[in-house]
Amino acid sequence: MTELYKLPVFGIVITLIAFFSARTLRTKIKFVLFNPVLVAIALIILFLVVMDISFDDYNKGGKVLSFFLGPSIVALGVLFFEKYQLIKHNIYPFLLAVCCGGIISIFSVSLITVVMNAPDVIIKSIVPLSVTTPIAIEITKITQGIPSITAGVVIAVGIFGNAFGPGFLKLVGIKSETAMGTALGTAAHGIGTARALEVGHLSGAYSGLAMCVNGILTTLIAPYVVIWILG
Amino acid sequence: MTIKSFKVNFKNKRVLHTGIKLLKAFLILFLFLGLGELIKYFIEIPIPGNILGMVLIFIALKLKLIKLEWVKPASDTLLNYLVLFFIPFGVGLMSYFDFINLYWVILCVAAGLSTLITLYVTALIQQKLEKHD
Repeated sequence: MTELYKLPVFGIVITLIAFFSARTLRTKIKFVLFNPVLVAIALIILFLVVMDISFDDYNKGGKVLSFFLGPSIVALGVLFFEKYQLIKHNIYPFLLAVCCGGIISIFSVSLITVVMNAPDVIIKSIVPLSVTTPIAIEITKITQGIPSITAGVVIAVGIFGNAFGPGFLKLVGIKSETAMGTALGTAAHGIGTARALEVGHLSGAYSGLAMCVNGILTTLIAPYVVIWILG
Repeated sequence: MTIKSFKVNFKNKRVLHTGIKLLKAFLILFLFLGLGELIKYFIEIPIPGNILGMVLIFIALKLKLIKLEWVKPASDTLLNYLVLFFIPFGVGLMSYFDFINLYWVILCVAAGLSTLITLYVTALIQQKLEKHD
């Protein structure tokens, strides 16, 4: 009985409870910091720290859940196919915008971390910060960074983009809703896409597609940029 | 009595039918995941197998090798719960509190600045070049 928390089912159950409570909270209060992922993670960490349970014990169940990231990434391909019809006529400007944005993201984050004299492991962990979390984690495994740091920073970037993205873009003179969607999906992945969907249906489609394209692009480029910068 | 039992039976059949559809959809998704991992295993390319799977399923849909409604039940389910699956990685942050304490300024500046730059560049290019109709 005392060893109950060492079973995989423990991690699964508390994650599900935290996730669904956080989701319910979000439907009640539409405040950006009440992002379901953020709240769920905070709740679980708090619980584990208070109960003095190690992350490794929790992660026995956690691993079962993160296993589904693999098929979820494949599901993104299906999403891409569905939305692709909507933007066919603008595919070249769209691809150019996402590719430039994705490359700028990789280089700007690497340059800033190098200029600020950060240790190598930070660069290795946060280079894919603008792509969707499951893909970012895969990239970090290739660059040998720390997946948890990646997940934390990527989620933070998503929330930042979700909260301030549209306001910032209006401020710098972006009027097109579809451009806003593309930018949100490229820079702030799924959490940004959630905001783009609030701007408009078409904006959401552009954002979802941008997220997929930037995911592939960053996978192809980021590992080489890391090797190139760190020598 | 007979009508009632018929209705129940009918309802059960429909539930079973959607269940089998969902199962089939998941099977196809896992098939593409496996295919991606297999390619990754045999050819030394630095792309994760699941991302190869994503590209492959898009190509298969585009070439009409598989139908959208075959896979849609599973992909919609997975994408609906996508955030749930990466919560464990976020919880993993608890092992890195000291690390974050040391480097939070760098992390915030790098993430914030590069996100704003990326947003601006992407939106600007798209706005300048897109066609309206």
